[in-house]
Amino acid sequence: MLVRPGEKVKVKVKVNGIWYEKEVEPRKLLVHFIREDIGLTGTKIGCDTSTCGACTIIMNGKSVKSCTLFAFQANGAEITTIEGIGDSKLHPIQEAFKDNFALQCGYCTPGMIMQTYFLLKTNPNPTEEEIKDGLHGNICRCTGYQNIIKAVKDAAGRMR
Amino acid sequence: MRCNMYPTIFGLYEPSSIYDTLDFLDNGNAKIIAGGQSLIPMLKLRVIQPKFLVDLNKLRGDLDYIEDRGKSIGLGSLATHAKISTDQIVKSKIPLLSVTASKVGDMQVRNLGTLGGSVSNADPSADYPAVLLAYDATLTLISSGGERKVKASEFFKGPFSTELKDNEILREVEFPVLEGYAYKYEKIVRRAGDFAMVGIAVLAKVSDKVEDLRIAYTGVGEKAYRPYELEKELVGKKVTRDDLEKFAEKVSATLTPPSDSRGSSSYRKKVAKIATIKTLSEVLGVVS
Ligand SMILES: Cc1cc2nc3c(=O)[nH]c(=O)nc-3n(C[C@H](O)[C@H](O)[C@H](O)COP(=O)(O)OP(=O)(O)OC[C@H]3O[C@@H](n4cnc5c(N)ncnc54)[C@H](O)[C@@H]3O)c2cc1C
Ligand code: FES
Ligand code: FES
Repeated sequence: MLVRPGEKVKVKVKVNGIWYEKEVEPRKLLVHFIREDIGLTGTKIGCDTSTCGACTIIMNGKSVKSCTLFAFQANGAEITTIEGIGDSKLHPIQEAFKDNFALQCGYCTPGMIMQTYFLLKTNPNPTEEEIKDGLHGNICRCTGYQNIIKAVKDAAGRMR
Repeated sequence: MRCNMYPTIFGLYEPSSIYDTLDFLDNGNAKIIAGGQSLIPMLKLRVIQPKFLVDLNKLRGDLDYIEDRGKSIGLGSLATHAKISTDQIVKSKIPLLSVTASKVGDMQVRNLGTLGGSVSNADPSADYPAVLLAYDATLTLISSGGERKVKASEFFKGPFSTELKDNEILREVEFPVLEGYAYKYEKIVRRAGDFAMVGIAVLAKVSDKVEDLRIAYTGVGEKAYRPYELEKELVGKKVTRDDLEKFAEKVSATLTPPSDSRGSSSYRKKVAKIATIKTLSEVLGVVS
Protein backbone atom coordinates (compact mmCIF):
# COMPACT_ATOMS: atom_id res chain seq x y z
CA MET A 1 0.00 0.00 0.00
CA LEU A 2 1.31 3.46 -0.92
CA VAL A 3 0.47 6.66 0.89
CA ARG A 4 2.00 9.68 -0.86
CA PRO A 5 3.59 12.50 1.16
CA GLY A 6 0.78 14.76 2.37
CA GLU A 7 -1.89 12.04 2.14
CA LYS A 8 -3.49 10.42 5.15
CA VAL A 9 -3.45 6.79 6.22
CA LYS A 10 -6.32 4.85 7.75
CA VAL A 11 -5.58 3.59 11.26
CA LYS A 12 -7.86 1.17 13.05
CA VAL A 13 -7.06 0.29 16.64
CA LYS A 14 -8.85 -1.32 19.53
CA VAL A 15 -8.29 0.83 22.60
CA ASN A 16 -9.52 -0.46 25.96
CA GLY A 17 -11.90 -2.80 24.17
CA ILE A 18 -13.36 -0.31 21.69
CA TRP A 19 -12.43 -0.12 17.99
CA TYR A 20 -11.59 3.32 16.59
CA GLU A 21 -10.93 4.12 12.95
CA LYS A 22 -9.37 7.43 11.91
CA GLU A 23 -7.53 8.94 8.97
CA VAL A 24 -4.27 10.48 10.13
CA GLU A 25 -1.01 11.75 8.74
CA PRO A 26 1.66 9.02 8.68
CA ARG A 27 3.81 11.22 10.92
CA LYS A 28 1.20 11.34 13.68
CA LEU A 29 2.61 9.86 16.87
CA LEU A 30 0.57 7.22 18.65
CA VAL A 31 0.52 9.26 21.86
CA HIS A 32 -1.15 12.15 20.01
CA PHE A 33 -3.55 9.74 18.34
CA ILE A 34 -4.59 8.45 21.77
CA ARG A 35 -4.79 11.84 23.44
CA GLU A 36 -6.14 14.03 20.64
CA ASP A 37 -7.98 11.81 18.18
CA ILE A 38 -9.48 9.41 20.71
CA GLY A 39 -9.54 11.85 23.61
CA LEU A 40 -7.96 9.67 26.27
CA THR A 41 -5.65 12.05 28.09
CA GLY A 42 -4.55 9.73 30.90
CA THR A 43 -1.45 8.88 28.88
CA LYS A 44 1.10 11.67 29.38
CA ILE A 45 3.93 13.18 27.36
CA GLY A 46 6.89 13.95 29.58
CA CYS A 47 9.98 14.15 27.41
CA ASP A 48 8.90 13.28 23.88
CA THR A 49 12.32 11.66 23.45
CA SER A 50 11.60 8.10 24.65
CA THR A 51 13.47 8.72 27.88
CA CYS A 52 10.88 9.20 30.64
CA GLY A 53 8.22 6.52 30.10
CA ALA A 54 5.25 8.78 30.96
CA CYS A 55 3.66 7.77 27.65
CA THR A 56 3.90 4.01 28.30
CA ILE A 57 0.94 1.98 27.07
CA ILE A 58 0.35 -1.69 26.33
CA MET A 59 0.22 -2.62 22.65
CA ASN A 60 -0.54 -6.23 21.74
CA GLY A 61 0.46 -7.30 25.24
CA LYS A 62 3.78 -5.42 25.36
CA SER A 63 4.65 -2.15 27.02
CA VAL A 64 5.85 0.51 24.59
CA LYS A 65 6.54 4.24 24.67
CA SER A 66 3.79 5.79 22.59
CA CYS A 67 5.82 8.95 21.89
CA THR A 68 8.25 6.85 19.89
CA LEU A 69 5.76 5.01 17.75
CA PHE A 70 3.70 6.25 14.84
CA ALA A 71 -0.05 5.73 14.92
CA PHE A 72 0.16 3.78 11.64
CA GLN A 73 2.40 1.23 13.34
CA ALA A 74 -0.49 0.42 15.68
CA ASN A 75 -2.90 -0.33 12.84
CA GLY A 76 -4.86 -3.45 13.77
CA ALA A 77 -3.41 -3.52 17.30
CA GLU A 78 -5.06 -3.89 20.68
CA ILE A 79 -4.06 -1.15 23.06
CA THR A 80 -4.57 -0.73 26.77
CA THR A 81 -4.09 2.65 28.41
CA ILE A 82 -4.34 3.72 32.05
CA GLU A 83 -8.08 4.29 31.53
CA GLY A 84 -8.51 0.64 30.59
CA ILE A 85 -6.99 -1.32 33.47
CA GLY A 86 -9.55 -0.92 36.26
CA ASP A 87 -13.25 -1.49 35.64
CA SER A 88 -15.49 0.59 37.84
CA LYS A 89 -13.00 0.40 40.70
CA LEU A 90 -9.26 0.98 40.81
CA HIS A 91 -6.95 -1.78 39.60
CA PRO A 92 -4.87 -3.41 42.40
CA ILE A 93 -1.76 -1.66 41.02
CA GLN A 94 -3.54 1.69 41.30
CA GLU A 95 -4.64 0.80 44.84
CA ALA A 96 -1.09 -0.15 45.77
CA PHE A 97 0.32 3.12 44.36
CA LYS A 98 -2.27 5.06 46.35
CA ASP A 99 -1.74 3.18 49.60
CA ASN A 100 2.06 3.36 49.42
CA PHE A 101 2.25 7.07 48.57
CA ALA A 102 3.97 6.13 45.32
CA LEU A 103 3.06 9.43 43.68
CA GLN A 104 3.28 13.10 44.39
CA CYS A 105 2.52 15.26 41.36
CA GLY A 106 1.27 12.13 39.57
CA TYR A 107 2.58 13.01 36.13
CA CYS A 108 4.73 9.90 35.78
CA THR A 109 2.12 7.67 37.39
CA PRO A 110 0.10 6.49 34.36
CA GLY A 111 3.34 5.37 32.71
CA MET A 112 4.66 3.81 35.93
CA ILE A 113 1.45 1.89 36.39
CA MET A 114 1.29 0.66 32.79
CA GLN A 115 4.90 -0.49 32.96
CA THR A 116 4.19 -2.21 36.30
CA TYR A 117 1.19 -3.85 34.65
CA PHE A 118 3.45 -5.29 31.94
CA LEU A 119 6.17 -6.26 34.41
CA LEU A 120 3.81 -8.15 36.71
CA LYS A 121 2.19 -9.91 33.78
CA THR A 122 5.56 -11.26 32.58
CA ASN A 123 6.95 -11.72 36.09
CA PRO A 124 4.25 -11.96 38.79
CA ASN A 125 6.74 -12.22 41.63
CA PRO A 126 9.68 -9.91 40.87
CA THR A 127 12.66 -9.35 43.15
CA GLU A 128 13.67 -5.79 43.98
CA GLU A 129 16.40 -5.98 41.33
CA GLU A 130 13.89 -7.16 38.76
CA ILE A 131 11.54 -4.32 39.66
CA LYS A 132 14.35 -1.80 39.17
CA ASP A 133 15.29 -3.41 35.87
CA GLY A 134 11.66 -3.40 34.79
CA LEU A 135 11.00 0.24 35.68
CA HIS A 136 14.21 2.05 34.81
CA GLY A 137 12.70 3.33 31.59
CA ASN A 138 10.30 5.39 33.70
CA ILE A 139 11.49 8.56 35.36
CA CYS A 140 9.89 10.13 38.42
CA ARG A 141 11.00 13.59 39.50
CA CYS A 142 9.11 13.56 42.80
CA THR A 143 9.05 10.38 44.82
CA GLY A 144 12.65 9.19 44.88
CA TYR A 145 11.39 5.79 43.69
CA GLN A 146 11.41 4.03 47.07
CA ASN A 147 7.65 4.12 47.47
CA ILE A 148 7.17 3.13 43.85
CA ILE A 149 9.22 -0.01 44.43
CA LYS A 150 7.22 -0.69 47.59
CA ALA A 151 4.00 -0.22 45.66
CA VAL A 152 5.06 -2.65 42.96
CA LYS A 153 5.89 -5.29 45.57
CA ASP A 154 2.58 -4.64 47.28
CA ALA A 155 0.69 -4.83 43.98
CA ALA A 156 2.37 -8.15 43.17
CA GLY A 157 1.06 -9.48 46.49
CA ARG A 158 -2.46 -8.18 45.88
CA MET A 159 -2.58 -9.73 42.41
CA ARG A 160 -1.49 -13.24 43.43
CA MET B 1 -1.24 21.30 18.68
CA ARG B 2 2.44 20.61 18.76
CA CYS B 3 5.12 23.10 19.46
CA ASN B 4 7.52 20.26 20.19
CA MET B 5 9.54 18.16 17.81
CA TYR B 6 7.71 16.64 14.90
CA PRO B 7 8.99 14.84 11.85
CA THR B 8 8.65 16.50 8.45
CA ILE B 9 5.87 15.21 6.20
CA PHE B 10 6.57 11.83 4.66
CA GLY B 11 4.74 9.19 2.67
CA LEU B 12 4.41 5.56 3.62
CA TYR B 13 4.91 2.29 1.81
CA GLU B 14 3.58 -0.92 3.32
CA PRO B 15 5.12 -3.80 1.39
CA SER B 16 3.57 -7.22 1.03
CA SER B 17 6.84 -9.04 0.39
CA ILE B 18 10.55 -8.56 0.73
CA TYR B 19 10.80 -8.19 -3.08
CA ASP B 20 8.29 -5.31 -3.10
CA THR B 21 10.40 -3.67 -0.46
CA LEU B 22 13.55 -4.00 -2.51
CA ASP B 23 11.91 -2.67 -5.69
CA PHE B 24 10.56 0.29 -3.76
CA LEU B 25 13.97 1.05 -2.26
CA ASP B 26 15.42 1.20 -5.80
CA ASN B 27 13.37 4.39 -6.37
CA GLY B 28 15.48 6.13 -3.70
CA ASN B 29 14.59 8.63 -0.99
CA ALA B 30 13.04 6.04 1.32
CA LYS B 31 14.00 4.82 4.79
CA ILE B 32 13.10 1.55 6.38
CA ILE B 33 11.33 1.61 9.72
CA ALA B 34 11.81 -1.45 11.92
CA GLY B 35 11.27 -0.80 15.66
CA GLY B 36 11.58 2.95 15.11
CA GLN B 37 13.51 3.34 18.37
CA SER B 38 16.41 5.11 16.68
CA LEU B 39 14.66 6.24 13.51
CA ILE B 40 11.78 8.15 15.14
CA PRO B 41 14.07 10.23 17.38
CA MET B 42 16.13 11.09 14.27
CA LEU B 43 12.99 12.01 12.32
CA LYS B 44 11.82 14.20 15.18
CA LEU B 45 15.14 16.02 15.27
CA ARG B 46 14.83 16.29 11.49
CA VAL B 47 18.38 15.10 11.01
CA ILE B 48 16.84 12.83 8.38
CA GLN B 49 13.92 13.83 6.17
CA PRO B 50 13.08 10.92 3.91
CA LYS B 51 10.28 11.21 1.37
CA PHE B 52 8.95 7.77 2.28
CA LEU B 53 9.10 5.32 5.14
CA VAL B 54 8.89 1.64 4.29
CA ASP B 55 7.28 -0.30 7.12
CA LEU B 56 9.27 -3.49 7.42
CA ASN B 57 6.99 -4.72 10.22
CA LYS B 58 4.54 -5.86 7.56
CA LEU B 59 7.09 -8.63 6.94
CA ARG B 60 7.46 -9.56 10.59
CA GLY B 61 6.34 -13.14 10.00
CA ASP B 62 9.18 -13.66 7.49
CA LEU B 63 11.89 -11.73 9.25
CA ASP B 64 11.80 -12.27 12.99
CA TYR B 65 12.87 -15.89 13.03
CA ILE B 66 15.45 -17.46 15.32
CA GLU B 67 16.66 -20.59 13.58
CA ASP B 68 18.85 -23.32 15.04
CA ARG B 69 21.07 -24.65 12.23
CA GLY B 70 23.24 -26.87 14.41
CA LYS B 71 26.63 -25.20 14.00
CA SER B 72 25.09 -21.75 13.75
CA ILE B 73 22.02 -19.76 14.73
CA GLY B 74 20.34 -17.46 12.20
CA LEU B 75 18.37 -14.46 13.44
CA GLY B 76 16.04 -12.52 11.17
CA SER B 77 16.64 -8.78 11.30
CA LEU B 78 13.24 -8.06 12.88
CA ALA B 79 13.85 -10.17 16.00
CA THR B 80 13.32 -7.74 18.89
CA HIS B 81 15.71 -7.24 21.77
CA ALA B 82 12.99 -8.63 24.07
CA LYS B 83 12.60 -11.77 21.98
CA ILE B 84 16.36 -12.31 21.74
CA SER B 85 16.86 -11.87 25.49
CA THR B 86 14.20 -14.45 26.40
CA ASP B 87 14.57 -16.98 23.58
CA GLN B 88 15.77 -20.40 24.79
CA ILE B 89 17.84 -21.21 21.68
CA VAL B 90 19.72 -17.93 21.97
CA LYS B 91 20.16 -18.44 25.71
CA SER B 92 21.68 -21.90 25.35
CA LYS B 93 23.59 -21.60 22.05
CA ILE B 94 24.76 -17.98 21.81
CA PRO B 95 24.46 -16.81 25.42
CA LEU B 96 26.63 -13.70 25.00
CA LEU B 97 24.00 -12.29 22.62
CA SER B 98 21.24 -13.19 25.07
CA VAL B 99 22.77 -11.35 28.03
CA THR B 100 23.63 -8.37 25.85
CA ALA B 101 20.09 -8.06 24.49
CA SER B 102 18.77 -7.83 28.05
CA LYS B 103 21.03 -4.81 28.65
CA VAL B 104 19.87 -2.74 25.67
CA GLY B 105 17.96 0.39 26.72
CA ASP B 106 14.94 -0.34 28.88
CA MET B 107 12.09 -2.84 28.74
CA GLN B 108 9.85 -0.66 26.57
CA VAL B 109 12.66 -0.04 24.08
CA ARG B 110 13.44 -3.76 24.02
CA ASN B 111 9.82 -4.57 23.23
CA LEU B 112 10.06 -2.63 19.96
CA GLY B 113 13.71 -2.31 18.96
CA THR B 114 15.21 -4.91 16.67
CA LEU B 115 18.55 -6.58 16.05
CA GLY B 116 18.55 -5.44 12.43
CA GLY B 117 17.68 -1.86 13.34
CA SER B 118 20.45 -1.59 15.88
CA VAL B 119 23.05 -3.20 13.65
CA SER B 120 22.05 -1.12 10.58
CA ASN B 121 22.05 2.04 12.63
CA ALA B 122 25.63 1.36 13.82
CA ASP B 123 25.62 3.79 16.71
CA PRO B 124 29.25 3.83 17.93
CA SER B 125 27.98 3.12 21.46
CA ALA B 126 25.44 0.42 20.55
CA ASP B 127 25.79 -2.93 22.29
CA TYR B 128 25.35 -5.50 19.52
CA PRO B 129 28.23 -4.47 17.23
CA ALA B 130 30.79 -5.61 19.81
CA VAL B 131 29.00 -8.94 20.18
CA LEU B 132 28.87 -9.45 16.41
CA LEU B 133 32.60 -8.82 16.22
CA ALA B 134 33.33 -11.21 19.08
CA TYR B 135 31.33 -14.00 17.45
CA ASP B 136 32.66 -13.12 13.98
CA ALA B 137 29.02 -13.11 12.85
CA THR B 138 27.97 -13.11 9.21
CA LEU B 139 25.40 -10.62 7.90
CA THR B 140 23.17 -11.25 4.92
CA LEU B 141 22.32 -8.15 2.89
CA ILE B 142 19.74 -8.24 0.15
CA SER B 143 18.79 -5.89 -2.69
CA SER B 144 16.87 -6.29 -5.94
CA GLY B 145 20.22 -7.25 -7.45
CA GLY B 146 20.57 -10.25 -5.13
CA GLU B 147 22.06 -11.30 -1.85
CA ARG B 148 25.54 -10.95 -0.38
CA LYS B 149 27.18 -12.03 2.83
CA VAL B 150 29.48 -9.80 4.81
CA LYS B 151 31.53 -10.48 7.96
CA ALA B 152 30.92 -8.25 10.97
CA SER B 153 34.53 -7.06 10.76
CA GLU B 154 33.80 -5.59 7.32
CA PHE B 155 30.22 -4.48 7.91
CA PHE B 156 30.77 -1.63 10.38
CA LYS B 157 32.49 1.32 8.70
CA GLY B 158 32.24 4.20 11.17
CA PRO B 159 29.71 6.17 13.22
CA PHE B 160 26.26 5.39 11.78
CA SER B 161 27.92 4.03 8.69
CA THR B 162 27.91 0.46 7.42
CA GLU B 163 28.38 -1.64 4.33
CA LEU B 164 24.60 -1.34 3.61
CA LYS B 165 23.69 0.57 0.45
CA ASP B 166 20.57 2.73 0.31
CA ASN B 167 18.67 0.11 -1.66
CA GLU B 168 19.75 -2.81 0.52
CA ILE B 169 18.27 -4.31 3.63
CA LEU B 170 19.82 -6.43 6.29
CA ARG B 171 17.99 -9.72 6.17
CA GLU B 172 19.74 -11.73 8.88
CA VAL B 173 22.67 -12.11 11.21
CA GLU B 174 24.17 -15.57 11.63
CA PHE B 175 26.18 -16.47 14.71
CA PRO B 176 28.43 -19.54 14.98
CA VAL B 177 27.72 -21.78 17.97
CA LEU B 178 30.87 -21.84 20.08
CA GLU B 179 30.80 -24.79 22.45
CA GLY B 180 32.39 -24.53 25.88
CA TYR B 181 33.11 -20.82 25.82
CA ALA B 182 32.88 -18.60 28.88
CA TYR B 183 31.30 -15.22 28.14
CA LYS B 184 30.45 -11.82 29.55
CA TYR B 185 29.10 -8.50 28.37
CA GLU B 186 30.27 -5.73 30.68
CA LYS B 187 28.41 -2.49 30.12
CA ILE B 188 29.42 0.67 31.91
CA VAL B 189 26.78 3.39 31.85
CA ARG B 190 26.27 6.72 33.58
CA ARG B 191 22.67 5.87 34.37
CA ALA B 192 20.41 2.86 33.90
CA GLY B 193 19.17 2.42 30.34
CA ASP B 194 21.76 4.61 28.69
CA PHE B 195 24.03 3.65 25.82
CA ALA B 196 27.40 2.26 26.86
CA MET B 197 30.13 4.63 27.92
CA VAL B 198 32.29 1.54 27.57
CA GLY B 199 31.00 -1.88 26.55
CA ILE B 200 33.13 -5.04 26.50
CA ALA B 201 32.06 -8.33 24.95
CA VAL B 202 34.20 -11.36 25.79
CA LEU B 203 34.17 -14.95 24.61
CA ALA B 204 36.90 -17.26 25.86
CA LYS B 205 37.73 -20.91 25.80
CA VAL B 206 39.77 -21.76 28.85
CA SER B 207 41.27 -25.06 30.02
CA ASP B 208 44.42 -24.95 32.14
CA LYS B 209 45.41 -22.21 29.70
CA VAL B 210 43.57 -19.79 27.42
CA GLU B 211 42.76 -21.63 24.18
CA ASP B 212 40.84 -18.89 22.43
CA LEU B 213 39.99 -15.32 23.32
CA ARG B 214 37.75 -12.82 21.57
CA ILE B 215 37.32 -9.40 23.12
CA ALA B 216 35.45 -6.54 21.47
CA TYR B 217 34.69 -3.00 22.58
CA THR B 218 31.94 -0.50 21.95
CA GLY B 219 31.61 3.16 22.92
CA VAL B 220 35.34 3.77 22.72
CA GLY B 221 35.85 4.74 19.10
CA GLU B 222 34.22 5.44 15.77
CA LYS B 223 32.89 1.90 15.65
CA ALA B 224 33.09 -1.34 17.57
CA TYR B 225 36.65 -2.53 17.86
CA ARG B 226 38.39 -5.84 18.36
CA PRO B 227 42.13 -5.88 19.07
CA TYR B 228 42.86 -9.03 17.05
CA GLU B 229 46.63 -8.85 17.37
CA LEU B 230 46.69 -8.15 21.10
CA GLU B 231 44.22 -10.97 21.79
CA LYS B 232 46.83 -13.42 20.55
CA GLU B 233 49.23 -12.40 23.31
CA LEU B 234 46.99 -14.04 25.90
CA VAL B 235 46.25 -17.20 23.93
CA GLY B 236 48.18 -20.37 24.80
CA LYS B 237 49.05 -19.02 28.23
CA LYS B 238 48.08 -19.51 31.80
CA VAL B 239 47.18 -15.87 32.25
CA THR B 240 48.19 -14.00 35.42
CA ARG B 241 46.93 -10.74 36.85
CA ASP B 242 50.14 -9.13 35.63
CA ASP B 243 49.48 -10.30 32.05
CA LEU B 244 45.98 -8.84 32.24
CA GLU B 245 47.20 -5.49 33.42
CA LYS B 246 49.73 -5.27 30.59
CA PHE B 247 47.13 -6.37 28.08
CA ALA B 248 44.58 -3.82 29.32
CA GLU B 249 47.18 -1.07 29.23
CA LYS B 250 48.06 -1.87 25.62
CA VAL B 251 44.43 -2.09 24.52
CA SER B 252 43.57 1.15 26.24
CA ALA B 253 46.44 2.88 24.42
CA THR B 254 44.96 1.89 21.05
CA LEU B 255 41.47 3.24 21.82
CA THR B 256 40.22 6.56 20.48
CA PRO B 257 37.02 7.26 22.43
CA PRO B 258 35.10 10.47 21.80
CA SER B 259 34.63 13.12 24.49
CA ASP B 260 30.91 13.61 24.96
CA SER B 261 28.17 13.72 27.57
CA ARG B 262 29.01 10.15 28.57
CA GLY B 263 32.58 11.02 29.55
CA SER B 264 35.80 12.52 28.29
CA SER B 265 38.09 10.59 26.03
CA SER B 266 40.82 10.13 28.61
CA TYR B 267 38.33 9.05 31.27
CA ARG B 268 36.85 6.46 28.94
CA LYS B 269 40.29 5.06 28.22
CA LYS B 270 40.87 4.62 31.94
CA VAL B 271 37.47 3.04 32.42
CA ALA B 272 38.11 0.72 29.47
CA LYS B 273 41.38 -0.38 31.05
CA ILE B 274 39.93 -1.15 34.47
CA ALA B 275 36.87 -2.81 32.95
CA THR B 276 39.08 -4.97 30.76
CA ILE B 277 41.01 -6.24 33.77
CA LYS B 278 37.87 -6.85 35.77
CA THR B 279 35.98 -8.59 32.97
CA LEU B 280 38.85 -10.76 31.83
CA SER B 281 39.79 -11.83 35.38
CA GLU B 282 36.24 -13.03 35.78
CA VAL B 283 35.90 -14.79 32.42
CA LEU B 284 39.40 -16.31 32.44
CA GLY B 285 39.23 -17.19 36.13
CA VAL B 286 42.34 -15.20 37.08
CA VAL B 287 42.72 -14.67 40.81
CA SER B 288 44.44 -11.54 41.97
C1 LIG C 1 15.63 5.29 25.39
C2 LIG C 1 16.48 4.45 24.46
C3 LIG C 1 17.58 3.79 24.98
C4 LIG C 1 18.36 3.01 24.15
N1 LIG C 1 19.43 2.39 24.69
C5 LIG C 1 20.21 1.61 23.93
C6 LIG C 1 21.32 0.91 24.48
O1 LIG C 1 21.57 0.95 25.68
N2 LIG C 1 22.08 0.18 23.65
C7 LIG C 1 21.81 0.07 22.31
O2 LIG C 1 22.54 -0.63 21.62
N3 LIG C 1 20.76 0.69 21.77
C8 LIG C 1 19.95 1.46 22.54
N4 LIG C 1 18.90 2.11 21.98
C9 LIG C 1 18.64 1.96 20.53
C10 LIG C 1 17.78 0.73 20.32
O3 LIG C 1 18.55 -0.43 20.50
C11 LIG C 1 17.12 0.66 18.94
O4 LIG C 1 16.17 -0.37 19.01
C12 LIG C 1 18.01 0.33 17.78
O5 LIG C 1 19.13 1.16 17.72
C13 LIG C 1 17.28 0.49 16.47
O6 LIG C 1 16.43 -0.59 16.22
P1 LIG C 1 15.01 -0.35 15.64
O7 LIG C 1 14.47 -1.68 15.28
O8 LIG C 1 14.23 0.47 16.54
O9 LIG C 1 15.36 0.39 14.24
P2 LIG C 1 14.77 1.71 13.60
O10 LIG C 1 14.83 2.82 14.55
O11 LIG C 1 13.48 1.40 12.96
O12 LIG C 1 15.86 1.92 12.45
C14 LIG C 1 17.17 2.37 12.74
C15 LIG C 1 17.93 2.58 11.41
O13 LIG C 1 18.21 1.34 10.79
C16 LIG C 1 17.58 1.24 9.51
N5 LIG C 1 17.08 -0.13 9.44
C17 LIG C 1 16.26 -0.76 10.33
N6 LIG C 1 16.12 -2.06 10.01
C18 LIG C 1 16.85 -2.26 8.90
C19 LIG C 1 17.12 -3.41 8.08
N7 LIG C 1 16.60 -4.61 8.36
N8 LIG C 1 17.91 -3.25 7.00
C20 LIG C 1 18.45 -2.04 6.70
N9 LIG C 1 18.25 -0.93 7.43
C21 LIG C 1 17.46 -1.04 8.51
C22 LIG C 1 16.51 2.32 9.51
O14 LIG C 1 16.24 2.77 8.21
C23 LIG C 1 17.14 3.37 10.38
O15 LIG C 1 18.05 4.13 9.64
C24 LIG C 1 18.07 2.90 22.77
C25 LIG C 1 16.97 3.56 22.24
C26 LIG C 1 16.17 4.34 23.07
C27 LIG C 1 14.98 5.02 22.48
S1 FES D 1 7.07 11.08 26.66
FE1 FES D 1 7.45 9.15 25.84
S2 FES D 1 9.12 8.48 26.97
FE2 FES D 1 8.85 10.50 27.70
S1 FES E 1 5.03 11.70 41.01
FE1 FES E 1 5.76 13.52 40.12
S2 FES E 1 7.02 12.72 38.52
FE2 FES E 1 6.50 10.97 39.60
